Amino acid sequence: MPRLKRPSPRRSGQLEWSTDEWLRHLTALPGVAGYEHISRSEIERAFGLFADKVERDRMGNVLGWIHGTGPEPRPRALLAAHLDRIGFLVSRVEAGGYLRVVSVGGFDQRTLPGKEVVVHSKPAMNAIFGTKPPHLQKKGEAEKVLPLEELYLDTGMPEAVVRRRVPVGTLVMLRQPPVGLLKSRLAAPGMDDRSGVAVLVRTLQALRERRPAWDVIAVGTVEEEDGQICVGARTSAEGLKPEIGIAIDVSHGDMPGTREGDTVPLGGGPSLCMGANIHAGVFDGLRSAARAIGLPFSVEVTPANSGTDAMDIQIASLGVATAVLGIPCRYMHTGVEVVEPRDVDRCATLLAHYLVSLEPEWRATEVLK
Amino acid sequence: MKPRAGSLDSLLKALVPAYGPPGRETGVRAALRSMLRGVGRTREDALGNLHLHLPGSGPRLLLVAAMDAPGVIVTRVESGGTARIDLLGGRGAAEAVGATVIFGDGERALIAYDRPANSKESSAPDASALYLVTGYDKAAAAKRFPVGSVGMLEARLGRLGDQWHASSLDNRAGAAAVAAAILRSGRIPYDLHVIFTAQSELGSRGAMIGAFGVEPELAVVVELAHVGEAKDQSPVTLGEGPCIGLKEHGYIAHPQALEMARKAAKAARVPIQYLVREEGSTDAGAVRRAGPGVPTVLIAIPARKTGGPDSLVHARDLERTVDLVVRLLATPPEKKPAARTRTPRRGGR
Amino acid sequence: MPAARAAKRNGAPPFEERFLEAFSNADGPSGWEAPVRNLVVDAVRDRVDSLEVDAMGSLVARVAPAGARSRRRLPHVMLCAHMDEVGFMVTAVEKDGRLRFRKVGGIDPRILLGQVFRVGMNGARGVVGVLPAHLLTNNDMNKVIPIEDLFLDIGAASREEALQAISIGDLVAFDTTYEASGRVRKGKAFDDRVGCAILASLVQKRPPVPVTAVWTVQEEIGLRGAAAAARRVAPDLAIILEGTASGEAPGASPEEQQPRMGGGPTITIQDRSLMADARLIDLLQRTAKRRKISTQWKRPGVGGTDAGRIATSGSGVPAAVVSVACRYIHAPAAYLDIRDPRRVLNLVWHTLESLRKEWP
Repeated sequence: MPRLKRPSPRRSGQLEWSTDEWLRHLTALPGVAGYEHISRSEIERAFGLFADKVERDRMGNVLGWIHGTGPEPRPRALLAAHLDRIGFLVSRVEAGGYLRVVSVGGFDQRTLPGKEVVVHSKPAMNAIFGTKPPHLQKKGEAEKVLPLEELYLDTGMPEAVVRRRVPVGTLVMLRQPPVGLLKSRLAAPGMDDRSGVAVLVRTLQALRERRPAWDVIAVGTVEEEDGQICVGARTSAEGLKPEIGIAIDVSHGDMPGTREGDTVPLGGGPSLCMGANIHAGVFDGLRSAARAIGLPFSVEVTPANSGTDAMDIQIASLGVATAVLGIPCRYMHTGVEVVEPRDVDRCATLLAHYLVSLEPEWRATEVLK
Repeated sequence: MKPRAGSLDSLLKALVPAYGPPGRETGVRAALRSMLRGVGRTREDALGNLHLHLPGSGPRLLLVAAMDAPGVIVTRVESGGTARIDLLGGRGAAEAVGATVIFGDGERALIAYDRPANSKESSAPDASALYLVTGYDKAAAAKRFPVGSVGMLEARLGRLGDQWHASSLDNRAGAAAVAAAILRSGRIPYDLHVIFTAQSELGSRGAMIGAFGVEPELAVVVELAHVGEAKDQSPVTLGEGPCIGLKEHGYIAHPQALEMARKAAKAARVPIQYLVREEGSTDAGAVRRAGPGVPTVLIAIPARKTGGPDSLVHARDLERTVDLVVRLLATPPEKKPAARTRTPRRGGR
Repeated sequence: MPAARAAKRNGAPPFEERFLEAFSNADGPSGWEAPVRNLVVDAVRDRVDSLEVDAMGSLVARVAPAGARSRRRLPHVMLCAHMDEVGFMVTAVEKDGRLRFRKVGGIDPRILLGQVFRVGMNGARGVVGVLPAHLLTNNDMNKVIPIEDLFLDIGAASREEALQAISIGDLVAFDTTYEASGRVRKGKAFDDRVGCAILASLVQKRPPVPVTAVWTVQEEIGLRGAAAAARRVAPDLAIILEGTASGEAPGASPEEQQPRMGGGPTITIQDRSLMADARLIDLLQRTAKRRKISTQWKRPGVGGTDAGRIATSGSGVPAAVVSVACRYIHAPAAYLDIRDPRRVLNLVWHTLESLRKEWP
């Protein structure tokens, strides 16, 4: 794997960026599953500011390494946040120049009519999910949710131009700039899981100062949102063979209308998932670390399936001790995913503290005889 | 007159009827071995995949085509001498009704279903309504079709105008295209591994393990893709060339592999179409996520269903698929393998 | 033990019913198999050559074969049974002290009402109560209540009281105790504690071929533990020991009532995860015939087991499944016929002997 050149930190001033700035930056980068490479250089740059080396594997995962201080061979801890976000691909150009799309990762289709998008053609074009005005609707029509198959994109351009510029397979992303809310909360599409990528950046930054005994590899994984299998998590874990793997992904933040136990409070710190996908020892380690530094956290119960990269990391290689760290996030899979930057910082603080506390001789496999 | 090496007509004639339901691919494996005799080393693995290795000094390239065909398994023999079955792959119960099933030992039976007694309407049956008419009484049927017997939908190659049709074209047409391309190829600048996969109809089980130990740097999967019925507004048309798969269930083209396929198509002057679908899947998904991952591109041969067991494929698409694969195999690899390239791009859009 | 029965075993170790009883009474829903694993460790520690617990919690024991070294390279066999059972997990505690829970594995919601459960590791009991029929309309009486709408009542009057006895994330298991009556045994989690017990019994004696015995985790939630374990073991072939569903039910035709409890080892030809290896099935069948063990077929097309994961690991592994047919698996109480695990153990043991002579 190639070692990539460290970017010049001076060029951007990124070294001093606040978490809010990182979130705004990372959520602005396009890329659905399979199209992560569009923004890869920015991810590599971000990791490269703090990591000892940055690599890219053949599936497109971006790896930021922190070399441990323990004796070789050092155990590895893999931190995974997925690079892909939800979006669309053009599946058909229709008469009139209208575009039909398929979804990559499940966008909440109820939220799409009337939304603006960017069609990543060359050059890029803007478009709108077309809607029928109420005047033209039949009675009762507005009571039905429009499935994605019935929605279309309108670029406003002549058919010939659209056909020339927009081949089947062109990437389409929601066009929604980040919006600052009260309590410094931030609403943007793609918090799932660019807020996790921000946690990786912040963790690398912290570990640069306080070195762990273990090797830590922050991995921006590809293709979490598409299909049943988290391809990047699986392949990177197969390649790295870590002892511990921690997925950092969004958790449902508290919202009106939800039930006790289904959500975690926004601004309440990271959520520690609990269930079959989680290794009890790693869970205990994270919880003790949080308690030791007085960091608020909540516990989220995910009995059989955490729905994250950790599902595939756990069963990769000879089995990996996994955990999931959740960033509370409201309105998941819409264009207004709300995250509190403070929770992102707390995730990174907790991770750094935990990773530094790992004993150099700990192994996931326990030998009884 | 002896047909030229790699003639699709003769390959299809040999492959289409060859026995090979999922997990019992004996006949088709033998047919492939015989047509590829002398080309390279072949071996069979634990799940029934047929491996062909053409050693070379270049990067490891994996070429994959599924070889099994839709089948059935007997779940119990009933008092009337009929047998309940479960489908092994295929495209749903309705399309299997009326098909003849052949078994490994030469026995034959017909697929029927429990028709509502007094209904003139025929509704689409589900698999639990299917049964085999064996023509025997219970004792004889139990002996000849014991529980667990595996059969294959009988496949006969037919030609209608420019199109081929048969129940096993998915994926015998793909296997034929791969075999033809190998037979027609000259020097190949790769260390070429070819796998004709078993059990693809059961969730690409052969493809999951085939790449193990090979660790290919690039993979090309050739498989049929049903692109919808005639009345649909499918963006893919039969006869307009093979598809390059961009996305389907569990598969997304790898930028590097995609670029390579595009370039080969251009060089071979093969017109191409693009496949973008949410549902439907091929072996490509399983190949790409094997081990530490394999940069993979899918070449999909457009096909239509008939409503019965048969699929339709345009002969020209098949020929062009062979041309495309031959060119892919002849194109020297880029100097940098996928992992080292700094910024893989999806060019040419 | 009567001489006749010992002779019939022909050198196979006896099936230890005490293992079945202890394993069945222990609780281990997927992801929380430690109580069962500890019992297995106690049962086999002194008999195996090495013993490891992997990152997911699967227990891996290696056993070298008995006797002089064979001139042939003996096949390395993975024998496998899963420790986990279907169950539930506490997800939240309401203000009034009732517990919300979610299922772990496939469970029919209709079997929960009026049922008693063990909650957590500190001996708490809980019941799933329902409003009495007197207070319901006829309409509501005919509705199945989804699990999300059910509560566990552990007797607590407030959240604080509840949290003194249990924690969020606690595992919930059926409160069932093993019982014997004639040939029938009643207990919970026979899927797959009966396989665990057969495997623990088998390794009490040095086998004819090198064996790696694996007690896996998380089978019921997607055959997950076996995926990692198979890579660690990398066997030449695998035999999976299972407790499977009997087909018996009143009113069904005799053909449909397969396999039967007490009908002998149940062999899988095909299910949703596996096309069993034809040579291995043939070997099992021939061995059964030679040893006069009557076998039955599992109904093709239903269920899936760790065998599917193992078969598709590495470069592919020939795999087969031999099961004990149990009535009412994935429910609070199941039945099995105690002769069946003995026969499965005999069949597997003698198949290992056959493998010593004729594999590949």
